[in-house]
Amino acid sequence: MTDKLSFLAVFADIDPAVHAVDRLRGLGLSDADMNIISGIPVTQTMLGRPRQWTNVPRLALGGAAGGFLAGAFLAFVVPYLYPIHVGGQPLVAGPPTIVVLFELTMLGMLAATFLGVFLDSRFPSYSPKEYVAQISDGRIAVFFECPVEKETIFIQAMQASGAESVQPAEAQRL
Amino acid sequence: MPAIAETAEQHELEQLRKEHLMLDPRPRGEMNSLVMDAMQTSSWKFWVVFAVLSVVVAVCLFYVWGYLIAEGIGVAGLTNPVYWGIFLVNTVFWIGISHAGTFVSALLRVFKAEYRRPFTRAAELMTTFGLVQAALSIFMHMGRVWLSYWMFPYPNERMLWPNFHSPLSWDFLAINTYLLASTMYLFLPLIPDLAMARDRSTGWRKTFYRILSLGFRGTEGEWTHLRTAMNIFAFGILPVMFSVHTIVAWDFAVAMRPGWNSTIFGPYFVVGALHSGIAAVAMVLVVIRSSMKNMKYFIRPEHFNALGRLMLIVSMAWGYFFFNDYMVQWYGGNSFTDSLLHFHERGPMGWMWFAMLILNVVVPWATLWNKKIRSNPWALFAIGLGINIGMWFERYIIIPVSLTVNFMPFTWREYKPGVEIPLSIGTLAFFILLYMIASRLVPLVPVWEVQEGQIAHTLRKVGKETIVSVAELE
Amino acid sequence: MSETKIPAFKANLSEEEKGKWGLVVDQDLCTGCQACVVACTMENNIPFVGETDAAYGRSMHWIRTERFWEGEYPEVKATPFQPVMCQQCGSAPCEPVCPVFASVHSEAEQLNVQVYNRCVGTRYCANNCPYVVRTFNWRDYTRPEPLNNQLNPDVTVRRRGIMEKCTFCVQRIRKVEDKAEADGRPVADGEVQPACVQACPAEALVFGRLDDPQSQVSKATASGRAVKLLEQLGTQPRVTYLKGGSDYARNR
Repeated sequence: MTDKLSFLAVFADIDPAVHAVDRLRGLGLSDADMNIISGIPVTQTMLGRPRQWTNVPRLALGGAAGGFLAGAFLAFVVPYLYPIHVGGQPLVAGPPTIVVLFELTMLGMLAATFLGVFLDSRFPSYSPKEYVAQISDGRIAVFFECPVEKETIFIQAMQASGAESVQPAEAQRL
Repeated sequence: MPAIAETAEQHELEQLRKEHLMLDPRPRGEMNSLVMDAMQTSSWKFWVVFAVLSVVVAVCLFYVWGYLIAEGIGVAGLTNPVYWGIFLVNTVFWIGISHAGTFVSALLRVFKAEYRRPFTRAAELMTTFGLVQAALSIFMHMGRVWLSYWMFPYPNERMLWPNFHSPLSWDFLAINTYLLASTMYLFLPLIPDLAMARDRSTGWRKTFYRILSLGFRGTEGEWTHLRTAMNIFAFGILPVMFSVHTIVAWDFAVAMRPGWNSTIFGPYFVVGALHSGIAAVAMVLVVIRSSMKNMKYFIRPEHFNALGRLMLIVSMAWGYFFFNDYMVQWYGGNSFTDSLLHFHERGPMGWMWFAMLILNVVVPWATLWNKKIRSNPWALFAIGLGINIGMWFERYIIIPVSLTVNFMPFTWREYKPGVEIPLSIGTLAFFILLYMIASRLVPLVPVWEVQEGQIAHTLRKVGKETIVSVAELE
Repeated sequence: MSETKIPAFKANLSEEEKGKWGLVVDQDLCTGCQACVVACTMENNIPFVGETDAAYGRSMHWIRTERFWEGEYPEVKATPFQPVMCQQCGSAPCEPVCPVFASVHSEAEQLNVQVYNRCVGTRYCANNCPYVVRTFNWRDYTRPEPLNNQLNPDVTVRRRGIMEKCTFCVQRIRKVEDKAEADGRPVADGEVQPACVQACPAEALVFGRLDDPQSQVSKATASGRAVKLLEQLGTQPRVTYLKGGSDYARNR
């Protein structure tokens, strides 16, 4: 197992960054060893990267199901716990049931989506990370890990692709 | 001749650039500075207004509300048979305003209206703070507000759950769902901007943004999760938005009162909410643009033009629903409804009824056709203010004025507001105060969304015309 | 007079249409003296709201005597007085709208019951009552000494923020039923008299069991003069009004 070094190559625009990714692939890095960090969402297709997984839609569906169950509890189970008759309406009435089910399903779905982002992205995370402040100024950074002995080759490849800077990636407090 | 044609073309490009934010990209770093600068620079005028509003909130809202709780609802102007008055008017009004934010950030996103980009956050802030005022107004009107937690479903020793047959319980569920959902929807696109602010701050601000930005960097994974979530929210919060004001409308529509028991109240109220909400967004944007640094780059006459067009369309929709409701009541000949309509138009509050129609329909229809008027911020502010006043009048007519007339003529009695007036002023001041605080703490313009839009916009020549081409970013 | 039918999808209640306790108001006999209002106030510890609040319409009387007239002075024609109290609707619109179940239907007495302790004061029930018979405690109204000695120990005292309304003097119903059970006999017709019924000097108010075909109220509801207030709304009120305005009343 050779030692690996990590680098952050910062680019000013999308095109040079994409060229750089191709070069890295050409130099033998797999897609998993690379990560693109950017200040605006650049799509996977633009970058030529594999499709990124996300659990958020599944979590949203799960949340919707959970919300539905909570709503079903309030609409179908609760009236029988202490039956109170009001206004000539049956204990479980149609229109109120629909309202309760709808609202709680939507709440469950949206809350689960929100928490899903936290879960998937491991938020909040205050440990030191590889990052440079220029990224939020619109730069695109390619983060990659390469074997120690090939360090110069990789750095040169990045600079040839038009990197503004190639620096060793230090995990720092954000 | 080539030289002159070139200048004409350059001139045209220059015009397009000046008019459209999306065609006028600046380096991201520069836009970030503009927004950070706007957030961190406060003139003395800001602090004077802040101080005045704080005093107003402390006195008119908190002190008077304490008095109301201690003395009882009797210090308000409510009586038999007008059991709901300005507190409910304010509740409906603020919920209406809150729909603006969702409309801009969700509906316009779903319809890919690019002009929404610079002001989605400003609108979403209106939603959150508007809902806070609505919640306060609901609490204010309750007789025993210290027991309001009984409306929350939880197992208790009284073995009682809330009554879900009641529209007020639906209100509770819907408004809470909407409040949570729109706060989450406000926060998600805010994370990247908080990360930007973290990178550009020092001192307490840096700590504050560091904590709130949760460690966001902008990796592919983070963006994917965020954007997927934002898409789900944009689609999901729309039915919630419609359901909230429909349920508020059902508070009145299911009741056995002449003038209230109307099937059209649901959509009528939703359209009314959009009407006052979009007008309120326009007003807030005018104030932001004129009082904060650098906002003239982000918010341009083109945005007011677009909002003005929306205001005109929604005003027409409102007029349609109002006429539907009115015409059917007028035609029906039910003696109680007749008395009610007569009381609306010719009673002591008849001036309010007419003012409502003039401000909601006549003024927008007469002015918003004209692009020049629409694009003029202060003209739009005036028209928007008129619409908001007109919509407040509409809710006043629907609630206390309609409650005066009921099925037992012996009990008919007019409503005269009491402490509701300082409390209303207090909620308005509180709204503005919260907004001002937010404008110091949170970047008001979602710069990453603006840049995303600018990347998507290009100019291309088709024949002799230069047209704007918008790419559909996934 | 046709009976309104409860639609099958509504009213899963165990009560029959006629219900249990009912009240009859004979508008030919009512003189408008308001003894019923006073008696009700005394029996049920209804607070005195003071001059200002009363002028603003906040009097909390659970029963009111409505009077109307036709014509202009001096050719004024009086129409029959109309005492209105809670109609104890079988399909009460005030019940489904209370978020905390403070306004519910009692299956024992088949009355509309206001549970003071649950009320949080949203006042939706009052807005939804088509008869406008519900009153609200706008403030904590005090009884200066020695008026507090007049309080009826059988009825609670309500604080500010709570809705209240006529209960058909349920405390009297309970008392009579308890005594009858202790004596081992059924309750006799006319034995239960709410305060208003007891106080009326013209005997215009009659109270009893609607499900007993021999009781005075049942016989009165079968009268040709019997009407219900706002019957078209389908609230199924338990109060029957015997229409006034016959020649006998006018020439008195």
